[in-house]
Amino acid sequence: MRRNDHSINRAAFYRSKIAYLVFAILWLVFSHAPAFAHKVTIFAWVDGDTIHTQSKFSGGKRVKGALVVVFDSEGNALLEGKTDENGMFSFKIPQKTELKVVLKASMGHMAEWKIPAEEITGSGSENNTLATIEKASNKTPTGSESIKTDEDVLKPATIGLGREEIEEIIDASLDKKLAPIYDMLANTYDQGPGLTEIMGGIGYIIGLVGVALYFSNRRRKE
Amino acid sequence: MHISEGVLSPAVLLGGAAIAAAGVAAGLKDLDQKEIPSMGILSAAFFVASLIHVPVGPASVHLILNGLLGLILGWKAFPAILVGTALQALLFQFGGITTLGVNTLNMALPAVICYYLFGWGLKSGSGRSVFIFTAFASGCCAVLISGIMVGFSLYLTGEAFLPAAQLVVAAHLPIMFIEGGLTAACTLFLRKVRPELLEGVYAPK
Repeated sequence: MRRNDHSINRAAFYRSKIAYLVFAILWLVFSHAPAFAHKVTIFAWVDGDTIHTQSKFSGGKRVKGALVVVFDSEGNALLEGKTDENGMFSFKIPQKTELKVVLKASMGHMAEWKIPAEEITGSGSENNTLATIEKASNKTPTGSESIKTDEDVLKPATIGLGREEIEEIIDASLDKKLAPIYDMLANTYDQGPGLTEIMGGIGYIIGLVGVALYFSNRRRKE
Repeated sequence: MHISEGVLSPAVLLGGAAIAAAGVAAGLKDLDQKEIPSMGILSAAFFVASLIHVPVGPASVHLILNGLLGLILGWKAFPAILVGTALQALLFQFGGITTLGVNTLNMALPAVICYYLFGWGLKSGSGRSVFIFTAFASGCCAVLISGIMVGFSLYLTGEAFLPAAQLVVAAHLPIMFIEGGLTAACTLFLRKVRPELLEGVYAPK
């Protein structure tokens, strides 16, 4: 009787120990949530006549001193350089076609990012948007007095500046306004696996164990 | 330890996949029903371990736990690691589908090697200090051999072997010791709770 009690206590003790271990492992995993690791990503964006690239491990740690190679759409290497302390590498746009930026980090890590031609040869599409804005402003009903006077004031100014200068000003201010958004995109791009992926993977493994047990059970019965 | 897609040459990818397939076949031969759950648990542990990031050194490295899998599963570590790496590639984008064979081989073969090198130390007859030493050495060496194999895979694709391997091994030095400690702790725990798991029943008969 006494012995029985003892073994029950032992079983309970180990069960609690196993539960403790499981919790410890889960805590280890989730307490490190922002520091997930192990692949590299590169994110590139256009800023005026330069392209900035940011490279990081999926944990968010920046890739320092890694090789970045820029290819054109035919796969010819145009230029290359190394990332700095912040994982950044910037270069002047070498040609206005589609570009591919490839990050070659050490230990067999590689990532790439494509910059479509529209993003680089942005002036063409901006011409269109400018034209539509002008059209729209012409089309606006000129019923109210205040709008009319505004247009009268604006017109000489726009004529004095000229189309290209306006474009430059718009480009510059857009780049300035969009810079924080690009930064945000670069930082949020690829945050690493979350709870969904982890639980999904563990679910797959449990399912596989179930399937394996099912088949081995059936084979044994036969 | 996960080699990205597009780094290795097709010949290396195919060769790695072929050897990994042979290893998986060896692991699945004479599979006993009783072994399936522990394979699943260890496969899940391997899958999740890759998310535990160790912020030491220049690169970003994570736990692998292949030494532990090798000690407990022997050749059965091959299918367990294949499942783990496949899910890591699909869900985390670690490595990739084309590099699945090479990555499995690079992590599972060291596991089996460590089983043969250190598995004897975990039998019930061995003393506590021998037990801890062999478990620690197994966790350490599995990562070391994996690093060398990653360097070798890169070498076969045209990179210089010594710098590539040195870099991988150097980046994983802190992990080696952490893995050694973890492997020793886990096996000690198993020795208390489920000693029959360590009796080498999972080796090919």
